[in-house]
Amino acid sequence: MTDRNDVVNVLAHPAAARRISRRAFLAGATVTAAGSSILISGCGGDDEPSSGASAAPSGELEDQINMYTWGEYDWPKVMKDFTKEFGPDIEVSSYNSNEEMISKLVATEGTSGYDIVVPTGVFIPQMVENDLLQPLDLERIPNFENIGEEYRDQPWDPGNGHSVPKAWGTTGYVYDKNHVTRPMATWQDFIDAAQNEASGQTSILDDPNESIGIYFWSRDEDWNTEDPAALDQCEDFLVNELAPHIKAFESYPGSSGIPQGSYWLCQAWNGDARQGIITSKENNWEWVFPAPRSELWMDNWCIPTGAPNPNAAYAWINYNLDKDVSLQTLSWVGYHTAVAGIEPAAEEAGIERLDMVFFTPDQVATMDAGEVNNSQQRRVEIANNMKAAAVG
Amino acid sequence: MSVTTEKATAETPGPATAPPTRAGGKRRSWVPKWALATPAWLWFLIFFVAPVGLVFYYSFGYKPGIFDTVATDKLSFDRYVEAFEPNYIPIFKNTLQISIIGTFLCLLVGLPFAYWLAVKVDPKWRGLLLGLVLVPFWTNFLVRTIGWQIILAPDGFLSGLLQDIKVLSSPLGIDKTRTAVQIGVVYNYLPLMILPLFVAFDRLDPTLREASKDLYASRWATFRQVSLPLAMPGVVAGLLLVFIPLMGDYITASLLGGAQGTMIGVLVANMFQSAQNWALGSATAVLLIGFILGTAALFGAIGMIIRSIVRRHRRIDLGAVA
Repeated sequence: MTDRNDVVNVLAHPAAARRISRRAFLAGATVTAAGSSILISGCGGDDEPSSGASAAPSGELEDQINMYTWGEYDWPKVMKDFTKEFGPDIEVSSYNSNEEMISKLVATEGTSGYDIVVPTGVFIPQMVENDLLQPLDLERIPNFENIGEEYRDQPWDPGNGHSVPKAWGTTGYVYDKNHVTRPMATWQDFIDAAQNEASGQTSILDDPNESIGIYFWSRDEDWNTEDPAALDQCEDFLVNELAPHIKAFESYPGSSGIPQGSYWLCQAWNGDARQGIITSKENNWEWVFPAPRSELWMDNWCIPTGAPNPNAAYAWINYNLDKDVSLQTLSWVGYHTAVAGIEPAAEEAGIERLDMVFFTPDQVATMDAGEVNNSQQRRVEIANNMKAAAVG
Repeated sequence: MSVTTEKATAETPGPATAPPTRAGGKRRSWVPKWALATPAWLWFLIFFVAPVGLVFYYSFGYKPGIFDTVATDKLSFDRYVEAFEPNYIPIFKNTLQISIIGTFLCLLVGLPFAYWLAVKVDPKWRGLLLGLVLVPFWTNFLVRTIGWQIILAPDGFLSGLLQDIKVLSSPLGIDKTRTAVQIGVVYNYLPLMILPLFVAFDRLDPTLREASKDLYASRWATFRQVSLPLAMPGVVAGLLLVFIPLMGDYITASLLGGAQGTMIGVLVANMFQSAQNWALGSATAVLLIGFILGTAALFGAIGMIIRSIVRRHRRIDLGAVA
């Protein structure tokens, strides 16, 4: 719980953040110093040969990277550019939830063949404990210095020993204003619309904690609770009052559901919602960052234990932390990439719908990070019961 | 596949009179006869018996912690109790409904087509048409199903077409519903119904139909009393080939179904993937296997009963004629 509040504070109040992450800043500074002494030329933006040399101080790049990540999380153009510049081909497979990715890593015991995974921060401690992730050598990621101070050294991975930030964002919803005409601002509005005019036309994220979140966020209660009574009430609500109105459990409505008009109301992660709105032919979708509370998540680049192409994986992570590359990625995936100064850079570049990418400190203050705790199995069970109830 | 009647009849006696070893007396092979099947049974042993055995074994285990998928140091039936959870009953019912309707729709569409292809079509076109039936198999199952997602979308081309010709006044609303799954499964499994039916009709001796006509049977009576009974093995094979994989389908249901079209396959995948609970997933998978066998056996039994009733009825008919 304290961890959770720390995360909020870190992102909420720049002053506090500076205080908290001084240690990280010093660590980062050392890393940078060490890195640049090796690199000589340092890492100046897109300068190919220098960043190429920096990426692999301890080995040749392999010719492939197998990346297991969230859907639509990297711009194909950026991947192509990387391959053109450095050689390794990038194979991508995607997952819908952290649980899905972790179960694959656990099942294969280090033989998954993946070089990159992108877990949400709160899942990292237990992944480390279970030997699923390699310790990262930050000297091999010189562009780590580009990461904003407030995003380094998070409580779930002190000193960035196993992860570096990939992106952070939140959960909100979008609605089709041709069909939902009431004013929409809160999770309670989402629930009311889902039970009435958008009944049978609503999608929610296919992730146990996201469905459960709707209940607790709307009531301004702690969504990481382990209290069995609270979870029972949540289950009762989801199974009996929300499930009958749900059309689909879909983690990426932005990729097809929103532009195809399959739904009128969709719970969505901000970047995916932005992709969906931008690709829609008609201008009929509205985005809501709902009150009173919502989620804050940060996904992180990690190298799993037993990765067959670690050098290429390091090079790829480093490439993504380059300021220009990071801005390109942001323009497409629509998530804050945790790189310092990305917000003014994005505004200057005129990237669309930045209101769905960047959030004000007041908004960030209402976001809570999730938690992996002993109620996890109960939560999955609630989600399964909700899915069964939605069959009707 | 396109075995003509002549060839079929010429070949059938082949294997029956085949065993030359016995006729040849002393020229016995050192290699045991079953050796020919070695690759097949090895394959089955490693890739079918072993994994299914493991699933059975895991189904008695439990999930020890958040990050462990299964433990088998204490074995129990507890997972089966969990899998019988009354909450999951709608999913089982849904699966059964989609599968039974889907199988019969496939039969309804496939039977006349297979009969037409095997009996009515000029043999020189038959190969081509049969090839066309198989064309969908050249494309990945997943891609074909995603294709339906696009067709059935409210702003997809089918919706646009139906609105243009004024059949619909508002966009088509069947994507992410049970109806969409129903359409998807009929499309995906239809060739599996057509092929055995075609083979069955193709093997029918045309002289039998001529004989039936010579005895003044109408076309319908010939079909009902001669062609169809002789093609019954093909019908049964088609029903099983469609029904069994359909019950375990996961892709069609998860891509087209939305919340309403959830099938057991989706539930099992969910238990293995997001819940990371292999024990419960295995128990549910075993239940599904039992459920499929049970349903197939039930329909088999009903079929036998109907057949015996029909036969008795017909025997009386024949007696009356005689």
